[in-house]
Amino acid sequence: MIVHVGETYLLLSYLIAITTSIIIAIGLKMPILPEKPRRFSWTNSAVFPTPIIALGLLAICFSINFIWIYNGIVLAIITGVVSALFVKYLFYYVFPNPPETMEEVNE
Amino acid sequence: MNEILGVAIAASIAWLNFVIIDTFMGLPEVPGVKGADIISHSIKERGGDLAGGFFQGNILCSPDASAGTLLASIGVMLIGIEGGIISTFFVFIGNRLCADPGYAGTCGALTTTLIVVAFSYIGFTPEMFVVGMVIAITTIQGIHHPTSSKLLGNIAKTMNKYTKLD
Repeated sequence: MIVHVGETYLLLSYLIAITTSIIIAIGLKMPILPEKPRRFSWTNSAVFPTPIIALGLLAICFSINFIWIYNGIVLAIITGVVSALFVKYLFYYVFPNPPETMEEVNE
Repeated sequence: MNEILGVAIAASIAWLNFVIIDTFMGLPEVPGVKGADIISHSIKERGGDLAGGFFQGNILCSPDASAGTLLASIGVMLIGIEGGIISTFFVFIGNRLCADPGYAGTCGALTTTLIVVAFSYIGFTPEMFVVGMVIAITTIQGIHHPTSSKLLGNIAKTMNKYTKLD
């Protein structure tokens, strides 16, 4: 383990990042869950992929030993907010748009 | 722990992890991209199973739970639990760049991170999971496609995820 913070604080920071990102995403009027069938859905929702991006950003900060104040908890809140804003407003500016239909692939 | 025994157990765990998650996430149901469709029909022509072929084509064409399992093990091996989480993030980016919604890959990477960290408390090293995952993926993609596709097709039937296409 590279990070020199107690493991309890690490776990707490990750949980805070997940919670913040989900709450902000719901606040930004994103759907809580993707529509059914969920495993083929391209809709960005509060549960997926917002917390994944928040966790990834926080883990990158922790892995380069950037913890900042309050044992990383402030950083966790910031990454949660940033990831929710990113998924809401910038996601399809960065990533390609989903394919229109699956039918043309199957033919 | 004995290394050979550890690798064997880790390979079985990694195999079950990625096959169950990928099947549950519907990889045998539809080919996500055209390449997966071509691969599956080629496997079917050689005596394999179409749903198993879709599974094999899909894991070849985008990073699904198989790649997630391998990359998360490597991440945990290199920098600990952060590595596993970072690899989950990168697997998701890779998924989206490969026209895949990304549920299977991220779930696979997250569960592997948890499994590798949990098993490290009872003597398993992340290296065992890296080797085990390479062995697991070789049994699916590297030995005999028709046989492994039939096995994957049977698993898909059991889990009620068999393809409706032909």
